[in-house]
Amino acid sequence: MIRALALSLCLATPALADFPETVRDHILPGYAGLATATQDLADVSAQSCDPQDLRPAYHAAFDAWMGVQHLRFGPVEQGGLGLAIAYWPDPKGSGRRAQMAILTGDADVLEPARFAEQSVAARGLFALERLLYPNAELPADPCPLIRATTADLARIAGVVYAGWEDGYAETLLTAGEAGNTTYLTRPEARQALFTQLATALEFTDDTRLGRPLGSFTRPRPERAEALASGRPLRNILLSLQAQRAMVETLTPDAPHTIAAFDHAIAVGEALDDPLLAGVAEPESRLKVEILQQAIEALRQTVLSELGPELDVGIGFNAADGD
Amino acid sequence: MRLSLIAALTTTVFAAPALAATPAEVAQTYTDIAAAGYGDSLATAKALQTAVDALIAAPSDETLQAAKDAWIAARVPYQQTEVYRFGNAVVDDWEGRVNAWPLDEGLIDYVDNSYGQSDENPLSTLNVIAHPAFTLSGAEVDASALTPAFISETLHEVDGIEANVASGYHAIEFLLWGQDLNGTGPGAGDRPASDYAQGEDCTNDNCDRRAEYLKAATDLLITDLEYMVAQWEDGGEAREATLADPTAALSAMLTGMGSLSYGELAGERMRLGVMLNDPEEEHDCFSDNTHNSHYYDGLGIRNVYTGSYTRVDGSVVSGPSLSELVAEADSGVDAQLKAELDASVAALGAVKSAAEDGLAYDQMLAVGNAEGEALIMGAVDALVTQTASINRAVTAMGLSAAFEGSDSLDNPSAVFQ
Repeated sequence: MIRALALSLCLATPALADFPETVRDHILPGYAGLATATQDLADVSAQSCDPQDLRPAYHAAFDAWMGVQHLRFGPVEQGGLGLAIAYWPDPKGSGRRAQMAILTGDADVLEPARFAEQSVAARGLFALERLLYPNAELPADPCPLIRATTADLARIAGVVYAGWEDGYAETLLTAGEAGNTTYLTRPEARQALFTQLATALEFTDDTRLGRPLGSFTRPRPERAEALASGRPLRNILLSLQAQRAMVETLTPDAPHTIAAFDHAIAVGEALDDPLLAGVAEPESRLKVEILQQAIEALRQTVLSELGPELDVGIGFNAADGD
Repeated sequence: MRLSLIAALTTTVFAAPALAATPAEVAQTYTDIAAAGYGDSLATAKALQTAVDALIAAPSDETLQAAKDAWIAARVPYQQTEVYRFGNAVVDDWEGRVNAWPLDEGLIDYVDNSYGQSDENPLSTLNVIAHPAFTLSGAEVDASALTPAFISETLHEVDGIEANVASGYHAIEFLLWGQDLNGTGPGAGDRPASDYAQGEDCTNDNCDRRAEYLKAATDLLITDLEYMVAQWEDGGEAREATLADPTAALSAMLTGMGSLSYGELAGERMRLGVMLNDPEEEHDCFSDNTHNSHYYDGLGIRNVYTGSYTRVDGSVVSGPSLSELVAEADSGVDAQLKAELDASVAALGAVKSAAEDGLAYDQMLAVGNAEGEALIMGAVDALVTQTASINRAVTAMGLSAAFEGSDSLDNPSAVFQ
């Protein structure tokens, strides 16, 4: 398999960077890292259910997820695996409801095959966060559920990585070749990747920042992503860094896009507000709004420079709904 | 910079004189179908209004059932217009007034104790029907008169929260059916007709205000639909804008088809429910009419492509189609897309048939219901598959430069540039 991949990479294109490089240097290592980090987390939880022991491995797994969470196509879209890794936002509180029912219910549900059938909102990183950073005393010993959740995460990350390594990478790399019914042309492969970038930036803008910002008169700091574990700004920065790295694998020739990423990352790094709690006060709110504006400007640059450079426009994406 | 071979070929094809449909004719068909679809939506909503008036005048099992039947009939044409929403700013800006979903129904009326307070919505258990005044951010809000203006200007999306849906089909649905407390088991909402009985027979209190609310919400739906009909009639703003720029209209048509197929219907409304196993994720969750809503969404997508809409009275509005234009650009893409649209309508039809045979949509969402999951995911897969071909049609028509995908929502004018 590795050899086959390498061969198609050599034949694929004379360019310094193009979508085969994205597969090789960004996507496959990203998912391999997620598989490793989630397995480490499962291993730690097999030893201890003490949140203090588990939190470093939880953060490492979440960091690894931020390296690939902008890729909402391919194996993560099969059977909703991406949602089962990270279900957020959850405006109706489905996750808490379903998870508490499992926590206080029949232990048979924790058996791996049964657990995999449970609501995606009750599984994954955000479900684990509720167990490791509870906002109230949990109604039952969470240890068995912590172990089921981390094992499920590791299993899913393994399935996703295997899905890329054993099939989807080839599907993308053979775009435009006879018999490839997913990507009929090479531009279709580039468009799929470009769409992920543009959509992910929109998500960071509208959701990671837009939800806590709310409106000026009604800020919603409590709606920031992964707030309990202190990750709102960290997730934004990691996501920007991952997408910047992805652009570098796609083309060597998008200087304005890279500069816009660097600017947004610098604005974010200078923001001394890891929880984005400052949205509630006018002066500190302004700083969060400046970050949002930098990301909006970045997205415009991606559309106006990177799109034409790759000779594609944005395609339909999973975020088209409301 | 790479040159797209397909785009180059397309330009050549487009430049050649042809006898087939022109973009202007296709845009004309699109506006004709919109006018007919919204016209039918208005006519069936007026029938609902008549039935609601009869229910309020004389609440009984019969008048309640007649109102429910009228609501279900009103959904048939409306859902077929949903494909107009994405890509048409005038529709997208408006549709939240008539079809907003999901809703925290406890805002409007009494709910079961199991309902619980939403973490994100302090007004999710307000029950405005029981409260002629309430407090919002420290200020008193006068809810003594439940008028269309109060519903649309004050209560709808109150507190800036989208789940505070006070108007439209789903608010009316809740007032007719009540909560479906059967989870993923059989059965829909079971509101008694006596919830509208005046005087001693009134159940669940405040029947006068409940009737006032239902009447106001139904009247408001009529007003809102009248606005949209006017947009697409001769001289209407949406119609004129569409006809003035047929190329932009083609983008809007394909944007609507693709966005509804993938992100909205396949993703938000169907797959997510399966992944959450949550009956609250059912689109028509009070009435258990979800199978029909999804089916007619799918039919509407195909209508736009084939340039043909069968009206409520059985007559057909049709004309030169987008399909003909795409075929001219790339007959392979057209043939595949037509087959895929037929396949998605068939897959949504299988969901509809199963529901009509007794396996309601919320039952399909139950944990471990393999048959239900297979039915829903079959339709999801068909919708995702056709989205790729819709994308190819965009490319084949040389529209990619003007096409902004999801940007049509944030910045609808981009589509018309």
